[in-house]
Amino acid sequence: MRHPGDPVLALSLRPRRTWRTVKSWLMSVAMAGAFVLISLPLLAILWALFSKGASVAFSHFPAFFTKEIPVVSRRPGPGMGPAILGTLLVTGGATLIAVPLGILGAVYLHEYGGKSRFARLVRFMAMVMTGVPSIVMGLFVYVVWTMKYGYSAFGGALGLACLMLPVVIGSTETMLRLVPNQMREASLALGATKARTILTVVLPAAAPGIISGALLAVARAAGETAPLLFALGAATSYNPHFFDQANTALSVQIFGNAMSSFTAAQDRAWGAALTLVLLTFLVTLVARIFTARFKR
Amino acid sequence: MTWLAILSVALISSCKKNQPATGGGSGSASAPMVTSGGGAVTINGSGSTFQKAFQESAIEAFTKANPNIKINYGGGGSGKGRQDLADMVVDFAGADAPYKDADLAKNKGGEILYFPILLGAITLSYNLDGVDKLQLSPETAAKIFQRDIKKWNDPAIAADNPGVKLPATDIVVAHRADGSGTTENFTAWLDQAGGGNWKLKSGATVEWPADTQAGQGNSGVAQIITSTKGAIGYVDQSDAKASGLHYATVKNAAGKYIEPTADSVSAAGAGIDVKDNLLFSAINAKGDTSYPITYQTWVIVYAKQTDKDKGAAVKNYIKYLITDGQKLLPELDFAPLPKPLQDKAVAQLDKIQV
Amino acid sequence: MDLRGKRAYADTAFRWLVIGAASLVLLILAYIAVSMTGRALPVLQHMGVLEFIKSKRWSPADQLFGALPFIWGTLFTAAIAVAIAVPISLGVALFVTQIAPRRWRMPIVYVMDLLAVVPSVVFGLWGVMVLSQHFHLGRSFMTAGIILAIMITPIITSLAREVIETTPQNEKEAALALGATKWEMIKGAVWPHSKGGLVGAVMLGLGRAMGETIAVALVIGSSLGQITLHALSPGNSMPAVIANEWGEADDLHKSALIALAVLLFVITIAVNLVANAIVQRSIARSRGK
Repeated sequence: MRHPGDPVLALSLRPRRTWRTVKSWLMSVAMAGAFVLISLPLLAILWALFSKGASVAFSHFPAFFTKEIPVVSRRPGPGMGPAILGTLLVTGGATLIAVPLGILGAVYLHEYGGKSRFARLVRFMAMVMTGVPSIVMGLFVYVVWTMKYGYSAFGGALGLACLMLPVVIGSTETMLRLVPNQMREASLALGATKARTILTVVLPAAAPGIISGALLAVARAAGETAPLLFALGAATSYNPHFFDQANTALSVQIFGNAMSSFTAAQDRAWGAALTLVLLTFLVTLVARIFTARFKR
Repeated sequence: MTWLAILSVALISSCKKNQPATGGGSGSASAPMVTSGGGAVTINGSGSTFQKAFQESAIEAFTKANPNIKINYGGGGSGKGRQDLADMVVDFAGADAPYKDADLAKNKGGEILYFPILLGAITLSYNLDGVDKLQLSPETAAKIFQRDIKKWNDPAIAADNPGVKLPATDIVVAHRADGSGTTENFTAWLDQAGGGNWKLKSGATVEWPADTQAGQGNSGVAQIITSTKGAIGYVDQSDAKASGLHYATVKNAAGKYIEPTADSVSAAGAGIDVKDNLLFSAINAKGDTSYPITYQTWVIVYAKQTDKDKGAAVKNYIKYLITDGQKLLPELDFAPLPKPLQDKAVAQLDKIQV
Repeated sequence: MDLRGKRAYADTAFRWLVIGAASLVLLILAYIAVSMTGRALPVLQHMGVLEFIKSKRWSPADQLFGALPFIWGTLFTAAIAVAIAVPISLGVALFVTQIAPRRWRMPIVYVMDLLAVVPSVVFGLWGVMVLSQHFHLGRSFMTAGIILAIMITPIITSLAREVIETTPQNEKEAALALGATKWEMIKGAVWPHSKGGLVGAVMLGLGRAMGETIAVALVIGSSLGQITLHALSPGNSMPAVIANEWGEADDLHKSALIALAVLLFVITIAVNLVANAIVQRSIARSRGK
């Protein structure tokens, strides 16, 4: 109802329904659909993990996470303690090697190397290595480390680090490229040295993406089996020595036990799988919360 | 730079280290290190998954009696075991087949000794409704696995099974995707006993026809058989039993159809020809009651042990495997060594110089 | 006149640090590539490089090694994986950055993280249980392609998301101010800025798809000689056959398996070169306009 004093508008401010707006709406629905589509297998896998693994992993808590691995694999019962320690040692070690090295390498490539021959060569090698099958990395570690120094968690960490390196370099360089040059120039204009600019301006700006890339690499490393088969040997009891003696890891245990015909072993495989997923997810969660500090 | 601090702490705490093994050949790799803790010894083995179940039970029993010895057995396949031992990355290897002559020179530690430890059966497991008992001769088996025979009611299968009603189902052949000593011994049987029908040779990897299915490990093959009607495949007996599979009785060299049991496997052991170095093949063994697809596995060690403590531990462990440990075999669906073979193996223990 | 004084030392030290890091990286990666190539030589001499690549027969017992079916399997499954994963990943990335309310952002990121932390062997086992048996896809190229697609989606999505988020806010607002719909804004402001980075994200996903070993080995069927577009037939891939046959291989066989890995390097190079060329051309074209 029109009243005296109402503003009179010749045009409505609502956008007209045209093909363009409908198309935009359809694309939005499609994107939402994509998310739904990818959530389905995730839910299915999580359901499989929990339904098969939760009872094994959480009965008589924390037995599964602390007890040693039963030597006779067909016998039911916990646990996976040594494998959890092994995974932490191996993945932690690999991260400590690959992430700093990869980030610094990418910094060189983008901030210093540019198009020089050396930089092109490093970039080329990193690109070629993104597709290396994990088994090939395992062979490499066997020849370079295990044959000379025997089984150890360090050998496993080395193999995983080699797998992680190309991913960290690739994703870091991509993110560095997207930091606007104006930021660098402004910092230099203010009198900062190049190193200081990189450390205080460029890296923090690219940090969320760099950490995303690093997390992807860590998640992959935690779930990899092949390099560890060649570097760790086998163990059923705790081995906290990083450079010394055979060890085991959750991924290796999952693979070995899942291949067994005996339900007791298969159950432990699923319990270990659930444990690995929860453990790695916890790490990514912590890292993401830490990253939130950098977001403006 | 907290990561630097963490790295340094980790490095320092791991500095309980590396006493290199005593002795060792000229320029050869030093064997894995002794753990700290005064008197404790760790020995590593890897290789055949066929014998893994026995290794597990034996390790448990042996380490209970000898608490200062730790033993790890990593599986990974006979080939891996042989390679690991050649490179002296492990102290003993498990293998279902010996080294090839050409490879012997590559063994870093010199002369090796083969210790047989058990005998076991490969079953012909199948999934066929309404057929609880199936008899197969090696000639027919060869044709089935080669895809010369494609249906269950084929005359060749019917000839092996007089009086049995066979359905017209398609045969689905299941085999190993991964290289395996089981495949090697199974195809050795098809090769030797198949009457010339088997054309695909014997080996750890075989050029299987395209219209077959592959699974990883014995459990993978078992899984294909249980989930596919009309499937047939070769599976180690303990995996076949654990998966609840039906398996066939198989015609042996003496012409009798034999079911795989502890007795028929032992009988196969009685009919073998053992070489001086304790190598032999139990495939297609002589004897009326022998199960023809019986095979064998060895623990391989270097005659000259480089580390005194480890060498002693290895020697004692192998002694256990071939003497008291044999009691563990029947409940694992394996057969113990026949007495003459066991005596020879025990005598060979003296050749291990610690 | 050097105005920087003491800080110059730190600057130079950092410079040498990053050069050292890059050198170490080069050393490690080049050593891997070179030692692999060295071990591949025996079989290449035995078979001849061209014959090794084009032959279809793989028979270790006869000492005959032909890589073509495995090359086909790797490329075919990777193509299926990318065809499925790229639209979905970009869709999710755009959804979470442009469409969805801000509050939904972190939960969606966590969902993608959950997918990323599932170990490859679990994907393989799940693939066998659900895709092969329940959906009757059997062990085939298609099953492997779908599993790979699910595995690489979080990789592409995560990086694509970060790349898209760097789109300057003012460019997006300018497009909207000119009357663009959301989709047109994405096409006009987000896409031109992000496409280089998005290609990088897809390349990382593709690299993973071509090199994934265990999950593929479990679901692809491991059959020999299959070169076919029939996606439901069992096949094989280079990493899968290396993993399956390594344990029991003799020396020449091992050399052949490593030669497959070297071939994978070459294919990775070729694919990356093609992708870069496409990106360069489209950048040049958009500048030319």
